[in-house]
Amino acid sequence: MAVSEKAMPKAAAQPSRLKKLWEGMSIIFESKIAVIGLVIILFWIFVAIFAPLLTPYTATEQDYTAQNQGPSAKHPLGTDSLGRDLWARLIYGARVVLVMLPVTDKFWLPLGTAIWGVLLGLLAGSTLGLMGGYLGGWVDEVVMRLLDAMMAFPVVLLYMIIIAAVGASATNVVLAIAIVGTPGIARLVRSLTLDIRTRDYVRAAEVRGESPWYIMFVEILPNARGPIIVDAMLRVGYAIFAMGTLGFLGLGLPPPSPDWGSMVAKGRQYILSGSPWAALWPSVAIGSLVVGLNLFADGLSEESTRYQ
Amino acid sequence: MTTMEKAHAPILKVGNAAISYETRYGDVEAVRDVSFEVHRAETFGVVGESGCGKSTVAFGIVDFLGANGKIVGGSIKFQGRELVGRSEDELRKLRGDQISMVYQDPMQALNPSVSIGDQLAEVLTVHRDMPKQEAWRKSIDMLNRVYMPDSANVMSRYPHQISGGQQQRVVIAMALLNNPALLIMDEPTTALDVTVEAVVLDLIEDLKRDFDTAIVYITHDLGVVARVCNHVGVMYAGEMVEVGSVESIYKRPLHPYTQGLMRCVPKLGATKESSILYPIRGRVPAPKDRPTGACVFAPRCDYATDCCYSEKPSLREIEEGHRARCFYSEEIDAGAWRPPKGLVPELALGAEEEGQEPIIRVQDLQTYYTQESKALLSLVGAGEKRYVKAVDEVSLEVPPGKTLGVVGESGCGKSTLAKTIIGLETPRGGEADFLGFDITKPVSERDVKLIRELQMVFQNPDSTMNPSYTVGHQIGRPLRRFNAVPPSEVRDEVVRLLNAVRLDESYYKRLPRQLSGGEKQRVGIARAFASRPDLVLCDEPVSALDVSVQAAVLNLLMEIQQEYGTTMMFIAHDLSVVRFFSDYVAVMYLGHIVEIGPAEAIYAPPYQPYTEALLSAVPIPDPTAEQKHIRLSGTVPSALHPPSGCVFHTRCPRRDMLPDGGKICEEKAPPWQYNTDEHRIYCHIPLDELRQMDPVVTTD
Amino acid sequence: MFVRDYMTRHPVMVDPGMSIVEAQGIMAETHVRHLPVVGKGKQLMGLVTRERMRIPPTELASLNVWEITRLLSNMTVEDVMVRGENVITTEPDLALEQAAQEMIEHKIGSLPVMEDNVVVGIITEIDMMAQLTALLGGTVAGVRATVRMPNRKGELAKVTGAISKQGWGIYASGGVPTPKDPDHWDCVFKVRDVPQAELLAVLQGIEGHEVIDIR
Repeated sequence: MAVSEKAMPKAAAQPSRLKKLWEGMSIIFESKIAVIGLVIILFWIFVAIFAPLLTPYTATEQDYTAQNQGPSAKHPLGTDSLGRDLWARLIYGARVVLVMLPVTDKFWLPLGTAIWGVLLGLLAGSTLGLMGGYLGGWVDEVVMRLLDAMMAFPVVLLYMIIIAAVGASATNVVLAIAIVGTPGIARLVRSLTLDIRTRDYVRAAEVRGESPWYIMFVEILPNARGPIIVDAMLRVGYAIFAMGTLGFLGLGLPPPSPDWGSMVAKGRQYILSGSPWAALWPSVAIGSLVVGLNLFADGLSEESTRYQ
Repeated sequence: MTTMEKAHAPILKVGNAAISYETRYGDVEAVRDVSFEVHRAETFGVVGESGCGKSTVAFGIVDFLGANGKIVGGSIKFQGRELVGRSEDELRKLRGDQISMVYQDPMQALNPSVSIGDQLAEVLTVHRDMPKQEAWRKSIDMLNRVYMPDSANVMSRYPHQISGGQQQRVVIAMALLNNPALLIMDEPTTALDVTVEAVVLDLIEDLKRDFDTAIVYITHDLGVVARVCNHVGVMYAGEMVEVGSVESIYKRPLHPYTQGLMRCVPKLGATKESSILYPIRGRVPAPKDRPTGACVFAPRCDYATDCCYSEKPSLREIEEGHRARCFYSEEIDAGAWRPPKGLVPELALGAEEEGQEPIIRVQDLQTYYTQESKALLSLVGAGEKRYVKAVDEVSLEVPPGKTLGVVGESGCGKSTLAKTIIGLETPRGGEADFLGFDITKPVSERDVKLIRELQMVFQNPDSTMNPSYTVGHQIGRPLRRFNAVPPSEVRDEVVRLLNAVRLDESYYKRLPRQLSGGEKQRVGIARAFASRPDLVLCDEPVSALDVSVQAAVLNLLMEIQQEYGTTMMFIAHDLSVVRFFSDYVAVMYLGHIVEIGPAEAIYAPPYQPYTEALLSAVPIPDPTAEQKHIRLSGTVPSALHPPSGCVFHTRCPRRDMLPDGGKICEEKAPPWQYNTDEHRIYCHIPLDELRQMDPVVTTD
Repeated sequence: MFVRDYMTRHPVMVDPGMSIVEAQGIMAETHVRHLPVVGKGKQLMGLVTRERMRIPPTELASLNVWEITRLLSNMTVEDVMVRGENVITTEPDLALEQAAQEMIEHKIGSLPVMEDNVVVGIITEIDMMAQLTALLGGTVAGVRATVRMPNRKGELAKVTGAISKQGWGIYASGGVPTPKDPDHWDCVFKVRDVPQAELLAVLQGIEGHEVIDIR
């Protein structure tokens, strides 16, 4: 009655790659708020990319005959004080924020200003956080005090100081966003690192004599990506606010850049005189994008912890 | 105490219970067709490995199933009353007055911000409207009954101020204050050290007698079951596969799974041969893969036939009071079972090579942790330094190709010893030598060639693998780092290593979260052995695994060791686990080695008193075996202030064998007494007297 | 031989709000005939027995079939139980015979055992029977001899002395005054491992004693 068996059991049958991707994505679809958030974000990315196809106007085309108009057949969202079509300015503005970074007038990089700012902040913040969390000792003390110092400044003030120091341009805005975002990211990464470094696989790497840099970036960082990604998405939202604030204060991208903050600044004075459109639409745009990012991040983090 | 047996109805009667959980993928049946009875003054053990559903059954009795669990079938009758379908209010009343639970982690039941006295008294003041003073008095009484030392004092302390064993006693006291008819205990001693566990188990046995409570005892440990239970139900994959009295199940297990379990449970056998562990092949089916129309154990059963796959056996009575869920129980002769080929490695009882130079030698090693004093002075570096003496004057040697088992309870320093040898901690004194290299240096200062020869297998299978990389990548890393093979051959070598740990090539691309605990541990072993190190340190590699998986992994380690000729140091907290494959064993207590020698010598007299106490505390999976009943009082002293003289003197039960009640033990550190060349004992008691002790365990 | 040693701990109990139908079911399931009725913290509120659950026919005479069914299904334990203050109870430290006397005096079959106002057990007439049997050695094998002796000091010692001189063991014994004869005392002895004839001979050898039964 004895049954012989193969010495080595096979792993359970694996689904195809596509199916695995779908399953990963399906977490997003489980959460209604994540889906709503995703829709909003995708909307803006879409209009940003296809901007030229979605409006006959450019962002800078002026028409003195149609100043401060409300929504109409010719201008779906109205015009601003210089007769520029608001819808065009809005979607070209989305471009700058989300899709392309104008380094100089001729040369631009893919991925918008806000996104670059957050990415650089991630880079700097993660490095500092990993170093503080893993290396400990005086390195940790120095890093922590540095972060404390940076966080002691009110955010807006910090932005103003940086831009005032280096001048207003797209790349400098990116720099400012990165610098302001670094402490928060560093703290997050540091606390994640403190937890992860107690794991046995980190110890196994140490036992192999791996260098601290290897352990930090290859062993620890990939396992912290969940909370970091969620945090990064929220930070894109903060960055957009920041750009709006800077633009409002006149410290943002130089005119005639259609960045939403400047649009609000320019349009502000006409609100009470009956033409709120120039200030209204960019405000709505900023708000909606930030809300969308928040919802998406919320929904993701809720879903991933639901069945634990 | 009646002289005539009263025919009482059972306190708890479970009939065909089925419990399911709602999950993202639909309803999952965790438990089905479970039936058993528990009478007053009886302990019914529910035993099984992880995932078998035993905790679900326990929680299901009182409907503590959480938001997504529900009882979907069968009946659960408590004192004749049906519990299934009762309202939450009714159940709460019953839970307060008549049914109590004790969990594995005492801190789940204890509020860390309320004093122990208040928590105990609360049980009485809330449920019985008793005046506080009287409740306080009764609580002290109950603490005395659970043998809590210094009970009046303990009442005013907080849970974190007492040890784990004492916490568990408090929890048991709380559970008994209302004199419940039924007590459900879910692995109450699993988290405790062996010697502490022994005392708590003694207490549980006494409870039966004094309180007449019916106890349902959930555990995975067959030794504990043999000690405290009267009847046992064995669970597998959500079903009860065998039920009977403890004697009948251990003497004549009827279900092939139970028989398999008995063969893979570590025993304190007299010889290496009688201690071999035979794993059960295959793995437990996931809840969604359990067949409804076939025997759920058939794929792993050595006796399965076609009808086992097409028909589901029912739990039927084979002999009196002994039921099993198998078609062939009457015909199977467990004694005639022979291991199928390849299940266990051939024990290489090869020629003993004499006079080999030890491959690793440690002399008077000391590893202390500095404790930061909170005094102001220490801020300026002038404060008094305090040390946790984790490893204190440890000396040992291991010949090449052999295995040294290091055994001790929590706080004995075995993990620190391992970390020091491997270089994760720096010793402050002593010498350590490995292959001619000085290993008192931390890893960062060691030569790559040395690091390559000294690797480690870790305890926790869930954290031993990096979740973000595939299995193949992680096994390949040491190969690449140490240039063990040319880059083009790395993949082949990884596959070879996977095969060596009995995993198929298809595991190369898997991520750790797709593997079971046992599989992850095997990958950890493959990774450690990848660079063919000369010495592998195993830090409790099987403590977190089920007993059948444990057997497989231990056999695997033995096999690899024999094939590669690796020397091993195996850290464990359980003397029975190291029994069958250690050549040498060292017993540690509070940073010192108290006894070290060839394995046979440790398990037979002469014993160091701590070894003797440790051996008498281990629960043995044999209800007929005779075991000494030596219990240690008190708790392990703090390593900040270790006792003077012999570190064990504060708890040693054999001190009275010396003149003056063992005064010398307090004053002078004991000498090393050599029983044989290789076996030495750290004790003042003369060797001749130690030699006259009886062995701790005698089996028929 | 105290109540605490022979009572049944953790008796089956019911609460006052339970329907009598359910209570009857519990009695059948657990084979008990007396159910203490308890409230919070196992405090005694009453006692319900099989007899209490029989409703006198006079009460039902005026009702029709549907009303009877409704009456029965709505009745709770509280409606039919003996109220708490009227329940005769006992304590764990009382001697067994004191508890027995309560039962005889009040003609009841069971006594809830109370400690600090909480029900800790129940002792019933069956328990008493079990004790009687044990007392007279009914559960072990051996020779049972009944000896009638004068009701005087020292007579009992003569028998025990004679038996132990032979090296035999007395497993159980119980004695009562001879019915209708105040001058004599009847005592039952259970002796183990001894042939009946030998025991008979020894006992008959005691002066003034009469072996009235041996089996």
